[in-house]
Parts: sequence; C-alpha cells; structure tokens
Amino acid sequence: MTTLSCHQIGLSIAGLSIVKDFSLALEPGSFWGLLGSNGVGKTTLLKCLAGLGQPDRGQVKLDDQSVDALPRKAVAQKLGMLQQHTAYVFDSTVVQTALTGRHPHLGYWQMEGPADFERAQDALHAVDLTGFAERSVAGLSGGEARRLAFAALLVQDPAIMLLDEPTNHLDMRHQVQIMGLIRARTTGGNGAAIAALHDVNLAAAYCSHVVMLFGDGEWRAGTTKEMLSSASLERLYGCAVERLDGTDGARFYPAPNHH
Amino acid sequence: MMPTASSRLLIPILVLASIVAVLASSAIGSVTLSWEEWLAAIGNPAGEHGELLWGLRLPRALAAWTIGALLSLSGCLMQVLLRNPLADPYILGVSGGAAFATLLGISAGIAVAFMPVLALAGSLLSIVLVFGLARGEGPWSTTRLLLTGVVTASGWAALISLVLALGSDNSLRGMLFWLIGDLAYAKSPPWVLLALAIIFVVCLGMARSLNVLAMGETTARLLGEPTRRLLWTVYLLASVLTAAAVSVAGNIGFVGLIVPHLMRMLVGSDHRRLLPAATLFGGLFLVVSDTVARTLLAPRQLPVGVITALLGVPLFLLLLNRARLKQ
Repeated sequence: MTTLSCHQIGLSIAGLSIVKDFSLALEPGSFWGLLGSNGVGKTTLLKCLAGLGQPDRGQVKLDDQSVDALPRKAVAQKLGMLQQHTAYVFDSTVVQTALTGRHPHLGYWQMEGPADFERAQDALHAVDLTGFAERSVAGLSGGEARRLAFAALLVQDPAIMLLDEPTNHLDMRHQVQIMGLIRARTTGGNGAAIAALHDVNLAAAYCSHVVMLFGDGEWRAGTTKEMLSSASLERLYGCAVERLDGTDGARFYPAPNHH
Repeated sequence: MMPTASSRLLIPILVLASIVAVLASSAIGSVTLSWEEWLAAIGNPAGEHGELLWGLRLPRALAAWTIGALLSLSGCLMQVLLRNPLADPYILGVSGGAAFATLLGISAGIAVAFMPVLALAGSLLSIVLVFGLARGEGPWSTTRLLLTGVVTASGWAALISLVLALGSDNSLRGMLFWLIGDLAYAKSPPWVLLALAIIFVVCLGMARSLNVLAMGETTARLLGEPTRRLLWTVYLLASVLTAAAVSVAGNIGFVGLIVPHLMRMLVGSDHRRLLPAATLFGGLFLVVSDTVARTLLAPRQLPVGVITALLGVPLFLLLLNRARLKQ
C-alpha cells in the first residue's frame, strides 16, 4: 500500500502560480481526475508529483519519504507516469517498448525473463495490441502508439499512476477501455491514479475524485459528485455548460456558442 | 522486423569474420604472401617474411580492427547521448583538439612517435573543456552539450586551418593524411585495446539503461534512471573511446556514423545486441578498408579515411534501400 501526498505545496512556472497551498493525498483506491483549461499547469503539476520538478515550497511524499530524497529506481518501482507525448527517435519493436516498463524492476546485468515477456503480452492484449508484438513502433498510428505507451505503464505496474491526458488520440471504444483499466487497478484498493483530462464526462463516469485548477494558484478538490456541476465547470472553463441527467449520473456539455 | 534467429548467428559470424580478416590482411599487400609463405612466417617470426608479418602487418591489422571497434562503439553512444541519429564520434569536438595538437606537433617537427601522446593530450583537453563549459547548474540539457561541443569543434577547426595555412609545404601532406585518417604508422598500444575491452563491458552492462535513454531523458527518469549521472557517464565513455581512436589513427571518418546505423538495420535498436554487433562490425569494416587502402594502388598507400567513405556510402545506401522495400 503506497500513498503519494503533498502538503501545502506551492508551484509556479515562469512566475505564474499554478497552485498555492496545495494539499492532496492519493490514497489507495482513489482515481482522481485533474481538470483545468489549456495552459493552466496540469502537466507541470503532474511532473511535480512525479518528482521531475521541485515545488517552490513544500515537498511531495511517497509514503513518508520525500520523492527527491529517494533514488529514482525506488520511485519508479512504485510510481509511473504516462507522458502527454511520446516520440521515438530510434525505431524499436512494440514488445521491446512495452518491456521497458520492467526496467526499474531489473538489475544491472539482468535480462527480461519469461515472466516479464508474459506481462508484456498481457498488457498488449489488454490495450488491443495483440499480434502487434513484433511490429515496428514507427508504423503505429497515433492511437496505437498511445495505447502502447499505456501498455508500458501497465508492465511497469506501479502502485501510483500519473496520467497526462491518457485518452488523447483514442477513439470512443479505446477511451472507455483505458479509463476502465485505470479504474480497475484502483477500485481493488491496490493502487491510486490521477489523470489530467479534457473530457469532463470521462471524469464523471470513471473518477472517484476531481481536482480543478482555476489558474492564479486557485484550486479545489473533492469527490466527483460534489465537484462537478454546471456552475463549477462554467467557472473552470469560462463557457456556458449544460447539464444532462442520464441513467448513469450527470453529464455536461458546452452550450453552443451563437455569435 | 527483428530476425532473432539470424541476429543470434550474427555475433559468432562477425567474430569469425574479424579473425579471418585480420589474418588475411596480414597476407595481402604490396608483397602478397602465398598460403605456404604465410604459414611459414606465422610459425617463424625470425624467418623470411616473419618481420613483415609480425612487425608490420599484424600490428597494423589489429590496430585497424581496434580503431574501427572504438569508433563504432563511440558512435552508438553519441547517437543515444544526443538522441540524434546524425551524431558521430567527432561531433563534440574530441577529435578537433587531437587534430590541432598533432598538426602543431607535425609543423614543429616533433618525432612521429610522440604524435599519439600529443593527440591524446589534445583530445583530453577538449573533453575537459566541453565538460566544464556544458555542465553548469540546473537540469541537464542535451541542446547545451550539443551546442557547446559543436562550437568547440568549430573553434578547433579554425585553429587547424590556421596551422595548415602557416605550415611549410613539406609538412602539409602528412597533416592532410592525418586529417583524413591514416593507419600507416598505426600500432595498437595495449592500453587502447584494454580501454576498448573495459568500456565495452561497462557499456554492455548499461545497455538496458541506454535503451530507455534512447526514448528520452524524461522517460528514462520515470523508468528509474538517475539521468544526469547516466548522461555524463555516457559522454565521458564515448569521448575516451574517440580520444583513444584518434590518438592512434587520426580522423578516420564515416565508420562511427555509418556502422551503428547499418547494425541497427540488421539487429534492431536494443543495445544489448546493437553494441556487440556494431563493435565487431566496425573492427571488421576498418580492417577490410585498410587492406583495400594498402593494395588498391600498391605500392602507394591511400589514407584509409578515403576508403571507408568509398566503401561505406554505397553499402549504406544499398541497405537503406532494402530496409525501405521491406517496410
């Protein structure tokens, strides 16, 4: 059981405040949606939580230790992040790329064993890339490359998952498939996740909690139910939002803009 | 895309081919030995052709193999370090320092025997210079290293031109040969082979780390690599490999750029297979090139750098075309 937490941290980029006095605990079993308009600092916040950038004040803790104080290998065994973009300069095969997720779990001279290959095959199967194992990554479509990056994260198998727009480039079916996989990993109480999302309704359907970044350091966090409303989303995105109540809870849509 | 069965065979084939090439290279030249003469000379270093074989051709063939291996391994590392398939062992100015020091030595009439020492000193100076200037505080930046290295290399190039412009006419030919890359005086000092062996083993141990580094610094960090330390280690190892190579044979071009690419087309980009394949093939390639350079217009000897390019360009284009057709 691992918890990623921060207590009253301050974070800014190029003099612009992203969050002030920000506190959050990714408890096992929780799946957080991170919402905010373009350029508000979602990626920077996720990177900070991953220990890739230091906050101005306060620290990010993995259980009771500061992420900065831990060796990166120890961090990578518990915490994984899906980046917004993955670019491959050198070509590789799909299965080799998925296997990179085992890197933090293997020693200096150690090779991947049959169990590692099995994990990779399972992960590829889970994201509908069965049969792609020996294909070149250079030939993948945008959505396939995205699912491969997610598969590598599944192979890494961290307790804490940070995801920067995991549903980018994905068609409808694969959007719900990936969101379902993330939720399945958290609902058992074994892991926690936080995902930066632009689709409010994916957050409404899959996330247990939501953080909203309003810019200027302002933020709010709570359960999905108490956080999502037409009023809060109108404030968040600065546009009119309509609410539709379906069988599976509330859904939100931008009101058409007639000028 | 990765023919695993044939790539498993590739390493033993390359080892065997390297041995055969070194031995064959020792029989071929301005005086070509027959099978019987060669066997007699191998068995009797004091015999008729013994001196030619043991004193000249075998050391030179072995030197060629070692230099080719050093440059190819260095090329693999530089390409990962800079995440740029166009990077070669000379891109960060290591050879520029060596060239300047050597050319200065030639124009001052210093004995040929001291040239490797001068070249080594020059390249080490360049490594320390780039390392010191690019290091600084703050996060690692590949761009900063690349710019520092490339600008340093340009600085050396200017100084080299200056030495060439001021040099006497009778020293120009020697300088030019050194700049193209020449194995005429190359012997392989044991420390060069030792450096190659040690760095090769260290790199092979880091091969999986190099794989994740090739995917980008952030990805490597997220997968547990202390990237700053890893990147500086790779820079220093690659630079020392280059320094060792240029100190023996000057600026032999093309090997360190093309061999990593050729091998990537054959075995894929997993460094656990790429590094051994590139190291072995680089050695083989340079032995063959040097043998051609010695015999093509015998008894005249061409600088091997000319041959590496003449052989390498068509070979590379051919394989590139085949790889495109396969896709």
